[in-house]
Amino acid sequence: MKLRSIKYFLKEGITGLFKNRLMTIASIAAVAFCVFMITLTYSVMANLNGMLGQLEEDIGVVVFLEKDAHAEDIQRINDDLKKVPHVTEVSYIPPDEALTGLSEKWEAGGILEGFTGDNNPLSSSFEIDIDDITNQGEVIEALGNIKGIRKIRHAATETELLTKLSSGVKIGGACLLLLIAIIAIVTIVNTIKVSIYIRRDEIGIMKLIGATDWFVRWPFLVEGAIIGIIGAAIPTAVCWLIYERVVMAINDAIPVIKNVFTFCSGIEIFSILLPVAIGAGVLLGVVGSMMSLRKHLKV
Amino acid sequence: MISFKNVTKIYGENDGGIVDINLDIEKGEFVFIVGPSGSGKSTMIGLMRKELNPDKGMIVVNGIPTAKMKRKRIPYLRRNIGVVFQEYKLLPNKTVYENIAFAMEVIEAPKRLMRRNIPAVLALVGLQSKANAYPDQLSGGEAQRVAIARAIVNNPPILLADEPTGGLDPDTADEIMTLLEEINRRGTTVVMATHAKNIVDQMQKRVINLDRGRIIRDVKKGGYSDEA
Repeated sequence: MKLRSIKYFLKEGITGLFKNRLMTIASIAAVAFCVFMITLTYSVMANLNGMLGQLEEDIGVVVFLEKDAHAEDIQRINDDLKKVPHVTEVSYIPPDEALTGLSEKWEAGGILEGFTGDNNPLSSSFEIDIDDITNQGEVIEALGNIKGIRKIRHAATETELLTKLSSGVKIGGACLLLLIAIIAIVTIVNTIKVSIYIRRDEIGIMKLIGATDWFVRWPFLVEGAIIGIIGAAIPTAVCWLIYERVVMAINDAIPVIKNVFTFCSGIEIFSILLPVAIGAGVLLGVVGSMMSLRKHLKV
Repeated sequence: MISFKNVTKIYGENDGGIVDINLDIEKGEFVFIVGPSGSGKSTMIGLMRKELNPDKGMIVVNGIPTAKMKRKRIPYLRRNIGVVFQEYKLLPNKTVYENIAFAMEVIEAPKRLMRRNIPAVLALVGLQSKANAYPDQLSGGEAQRVAIARAIVNNPPILLADEPTGGLDPDTADEIMTLLEEINRRGTTVVMATHAKNIVDQMQKRVINLDRGRIIRDVKKGGYSDEA
């Protein structure tokens, strides 16, 4: 392909957009609508996931050591714990600290009075963080094999519930996204089909005077790509603006929410969504054009 | 230049097509293919351009057998064959100049050649002043002349014309015939399908008469039929 032809395809593609204004607007609207739906679903999902993630972090596993554990035992157990797969962080809590923590929790305090120093009934413990809540069972099984551990405490029911919720949100979200994506593809491909059908005579004439299939295709692909870019960029940008506003509004209206949960930042979501949306838009525009052209090229 | 050997193409019963046609058209000839509608004229033109594939037989165009030609090669075959239709087939949103230029863009002709050839063909068809007009601003005769200019701008060795005067009044039709004759005089082989008796009688060129898909008459120089 010559450089001149590339220039020609770009020029033809762009003039094509203007000369078929109505179909251009219809196609962009179709892409925009679908991208808008996907963006919306994705933002909600990302926040739900984030919310669950933050909850998961609060549920750790605690192991209590034997009362008479020596310093070297503690060191060995610490090392062993770190070797267990899926364990991301291990923090040692000496008995004194555990007691202070407990006293703070039970503000009444009275009951714990006198249990200080050597009288402390609490044993040393470790708080363990796990990479993913679904791996908790596996980790606990592994912990059972470590010598010197008296007791393992974990929130089995909460964990189970969170795991279920989390996978529910993921699967549900994925299904919803897939459904919207299918609708999007069908809508966009049909719109492109119509716009190409309207111009079938033009395609016929090109073939008639000896244009190769690719020569006919390129300007349409350029058009499809431009429609994809515009159709994806506009709704994503609009969604971004709306998203920032909504998050701000919610945080202002219900200040308490900040203590419980931080929303995903706009940049966090849209730095992924924007390129994906544009990529998907271009891909849809191009593939849609290719598919719709096939029939008309057989002359 | 164009040769048919035992070529058969049938669509369905009593539905046009041609049967067992043998034909040789030499370089530089001007040939009329005549006959009533449905006698197979357009089928023959379509077969020459490989828009249609024969059921049987062999077709050679410009020295190349077209039967087993790959789909990808067809555009290159067509670049050697200019074509003109009754309905002009111009691109409505391109100017006269752009319509002609388009045929050169398609074959990626150098810009230099375009700047030379397009004004030359515009002059030949007498439409220099209409270069920037759009097809809907042209009369039928003018539109057909643009179509002819587009067909010959790449200097193809063969020009096919399918009822090129079909929608035109007699005077305009005469102008078109003068133009085709001039193009033929410059060395292009011209094959024209028509049922315009007066034109064929007037031109006194080779005439091939088709009837129900068969050649019933082939004269080197003559009119529409032997009766005249």
